[in-house]
Amino acid sequence: MENIETNENYHFSLKLKNSLPWLIPVFLIAFWQVACNLSWVNETLLPSPIDVVTNGIKLFKKGELQENMSISLYRATAGLLIGGGLGFVLGFINGVSHTTRLLFDSTIQMLRNIPHLALIPLIILWLGIGESAKISLVALGCLFPMYINTYHGITSVDPKLIEMGKSYELSKKDLFVKVIFPGALPTILMGVRYALGVMWTTLIVAETISASSGIGYMSTNAEQFMDMKTIVLCILIYALLGKSSDFIAKNLEDIFLEWRAIERRDTNGSEASGDK
Amino acid sequence: MKNLKKSFIVVLLLFWCGVAVYGWHLTREDAGSSSLKNVVVGYQAGDEFYVSKIRGQFVKKMKAKGYNVKFKEFQNGAAMMQALASGNVDYARVGDTPPVSALASGTKLTYVAAGGTKAKGSGILIHKNSSIKTLADLKGKKVAYTKGTSSQYMLLRALKVAGLSNDDITWVNLDSDAASVAYSKGKVDAWANWDPSVAQVEITENSKLLVDGTTTKALNRSFIVSPTTYASKNKTLSKLIIKYTEQDMKWANKNHSKLIKKMSADLKLSKKVVRRSITRRTFSMSSMSKSVVKEEQEIANVFYDNNILTKKINVSKHVQYLK
Amino acid sequence: MAQKLLEINKVGKSYGDSVILSNANLVINEGEFIALVGMSGGGKSTLLRMLAGLEETSAGSIIQEGNKIHGLNKEARVMFQEDRLLPWMNVTDNVLLDKKGKQAVAEAAQLLEQVGLSQYSTKIPTQLSGGQRQRVALARALMSHPRLLLLDEPLGALDALTRTKMQELIRKVCQDKAITTFLVTHDINEAVRMADRIAVIKNGTIWRIVENPYRGKESLGDKEKEVEISEEILAEILE
Repeated sequence: MENIETNENYHFSLKLKNSLPWLIPVFLIAFWQVACNLSWVNETLLPSPIDVVTNGIKLFKKGELQENMSISLYRATAGLLIGGGLGFVLGFINGVSHTTRLLFDSTIQMLRNIPHLALIPLIILWLGIGESAKISLVALGCLFPMYINTYHGITSVDPKLIEMGKSYELSKKDLFVKVIFPGALPTILMGVRYALGVMWTTLIVAETISASSGIGYMSTNAEQFMDMKTIVLCILIYALLGKSSDFIAKNLEDIFLEWRAIERRDTNGSEASGDK
Repeated sequence: MKNLKKSFIVVLLLFWCGVAVYGWHLTREDAGSSSLKNVVVGYQAGDEFYVSKIRGQFVKKMKAKGYNVKFKEFQNGAAMMQALASGNVDYARVGDTPPVSALASGTKLTYVAAGGTKAKGSGILIHKNSSIKTLADLKGKKVAYTKGTSSQYMLLRALKVAGLSNDDITWVNLDSDAASVAYSKGKVDAWANWDPSVAQVEITENSKLLVDGTTTKALNRSFIVSPTTYASKNKTLSKLIIKYTEQDMKWANKNHSKLIKKMSADLKLSKKVVRRSITRRTFSMSSMSKSVVKEEQEIANVFYDNNILTKKINVSKHVQYLK
Repeated sequence: MAQKLLEINKVGKSYGDSVILSNANLVINEGEFIALVGMSGGGKSTLLRMLAGLEETSAGSIIQEGNKIHGLNKEARVMFQEDRLLPWMNVTDNVLLDKKGKQAVAEAAQLLEQVGLSQYSTKIPTQLSGGQRQRVALARALMSHPRLLLLDEPLGALDALTRTKMQELIRKVCQDKAITTFLVTHDINEAVRMADRIAVIKNGTIWRIVENPYRGKESLGDKEKEVEISEEILAEILE
C-alpha cells in the first residue's frame, strides 16, 4: 500500500515537473492579453495575442501562411543538410588527420567569426538573389557549429578506448564505427542542436535578400508597413519552429544516446551477484 | 512508451521533410519556360511595376513579344541597386535618390525611363497638435529621416526653403520601422517620409504634412534604371517596357477602386490609407527627358555640396533618351 | 621442460633523459602464470606495454617464438587497469567487438557463462559493478584466443572481497585454457596467490625471479607459507 502511495506522489510531481517549463510562457501570454484588453498598451504598437492568432488564421485561409512556412522550411532544411553535412565532413577529416588540421583549421576559425550579415553583399555578387544565395547563407551558418562540434567530439574521444580498439586489432573502419563515432556522437548531436538554432536565425537574414516568399519576407514586408499583427505572428512562428526543432534534436539525442540515460538500476547486490 | 516516442519523432521528421519538399516545389513554380528570353524586373510594393504585375497584362504582352518577365520584390532601393550592380536585375524601378548614390559608388547604371512623382505624398510629418506650425519652427527640433533615401533630400530641401542651416535641427537617422515607433512615442518631433507610410501615419497618428514636395521641390519621382551594358544592348526591349507600363499606368489612373482593393490586401493597409495615397499621385511612365535629368542633377549637386556624396555626378552621362 | 614462448633480452626503456627500465631479462614459458611485482612507477606497466607492442623498446629486444616484437603483438591481449569497455554497447557486443557470425555469438555466450555473467548479456556497462565489468573485459580478452594474456593491474580498483573472487576466477580460467599469463601488480599477496613464478622489479631492472612452490595446487595454497614468501619478497623490494 505504502509503495503505491509513493508511486502516485511520484506521478504527481512528474506532472508538475513536465508543466513547469510552460508556466512562464503561458503566464506572459495571459498577462499580455489582459494588458491589451485594459488598454495598458497601444494596440497599434503591440496587438493582443487574440488579434495575432486571428490574423494568423486569416493568412492561413488565404494559403499565404502555410506556403511561406513551407518555403522557409525548405530553405532551412536544404541549408542545414548542405552546411551541416559539409561541417561534419570537414570536422571529421580534421579530427582524424593532423595534416589537414594544420592546413584548414585556422582558416575555418577565421571565417567562423565573420558576421553573416557582412557576407550578404558578397553572396549576392557571387550567387545572385535566387534560392541558392539564401540556402548558401543558411548553409554557411550551419557549417561552423557542426564543424566545431564534430572536430571537438572526434578529438576528445577517450584515447584509452582508442588504444584498446587498436590493441584488439580493430580495422580502421571498425575503429571508427564502433569506437570513435559513438564516442563523438554526444558532442556531434550537440552541434546538430546548435546548428538548428543558427539555421533559423540565419534564415531570417537570408530571407531579406530580395525574397518574395518565406516567413522572413512576411515579417520584413510587414515591417515596412508597420503591420504589427503579422510581425508578432512571425516572431511567434519563429519561436515555435525553434522550439520544435530543438524538441526533435533533444529526442534524437535520447534515442541515439540511450546508453547514457540508463542509470545503474541494480545497485543492490551487484558486487556479489553473478558469482557461483 | 519508448517506441511510441520513437515513432512520434519519425513521423515528425517525415512531416518536416514533406513540408520542405512542398516548399521546394513552390520555389520551382516560377522558374519559367525556357524558349523565351528572361527579363528580371525589380520592384517595391505599391510602385509602377507593382501595378503592372497585379494587372497582369504586362506579362502577357511581353510573352507575345518573346520575353519571359520575372518580378523580384525588394524591401528598399539600396538592396535593389546591389542586385542591379551584380547583374541580377535587368530593370529596376527606384526612387530618385538610390540611383544617385549607386552612381557615386561606381555602379554602372543607365536611366531608361521616368515615372510620376509622389510630391503630394512626400514631406515632413508632424502631429496635428504639434507646436510646429511653420517650417521655421523646425529650428531646434528632432527630425527623423533615413540616410540615403529621398527623405534625406526632402529634409535638406525643406531647410533651404525655410532659410535654416543644416545645424539648426537635430538629424535622427532611423529605419522606417524604428522611426514609426520613435515618432508615435514623441521621441522625435517630425519625420521626413513618403507614401503610403505618410498616409498611414496621417490617419492613425492624427498627423499632417508640414510641407510636401510641391513646395520643397523634392518631388520623389520614380525611375526605371538598368545596368549600362544591358541597356545599350536592349533598346527595343526598353522601349517595349516603357510602352506597356505606360498603358498600365493609364489603366491605374482610371481604375482606382480595383487598385485600392488589391493594394490594401497585399500591403495589409486599410483602404482608407491606400485611397489617400493613390488619389494624390498620378501614375505615368515615359522615356527620359531633359527636365527630369535636371531634377536628378539637382539631387546629385545638393548631396555633393552636403558631403553626402564624395564624388561629383554628371547625371546626363548616364541617360538613354529613347524615342 | 616447458617450451619457451617469449624472451625479454636486455630490454631498456627511457623517455628522454629519464630511464625507466634498463637491462631487463626474463624468459616466459608456454602455459605458465608469471607475475611482475614492484613499486609504483618502477616500470612494471611499461614492460607489459612493450610486450603488447603498444610501446617500442629503447634498448634490447623482446623475442616471441623467434620473432622480434615490433608493432602490435597480435598473439597478446591486454586486460587494462580500467575495464575500457565501450559504454554504448551491451555486454555481448563488448565481448564480440568486431567478431561476427553465429559461432562467435555462441562462443561469447559460453565465455560469459564461464565468467558468471550469462544473465547480464544485454545490460550495458554502466549497469554493472566494477567487478562485473572486469569480468566482461576478461571475456573480451579471451574471445580472441590469445597465446599471451597480459594483465595490467586489472583488479587494482576493486574492493578486497571482489578482488579475491576475481583472482580465483582468472587463475582458473587461465589454467583451464592453458593460456600463458603475465600479471602486473603492486600487491605481492595477489602475485603469490596467482603466479607460478614472481619477477621482482627493483632499481629499474628485473632484480630477481622467485619460484613459487606453493601455487598451482587446487586451493590457493598454504596460508602460512604464502605469508612467508610474500614477506620475503616485500623485504627484498624495500631493502
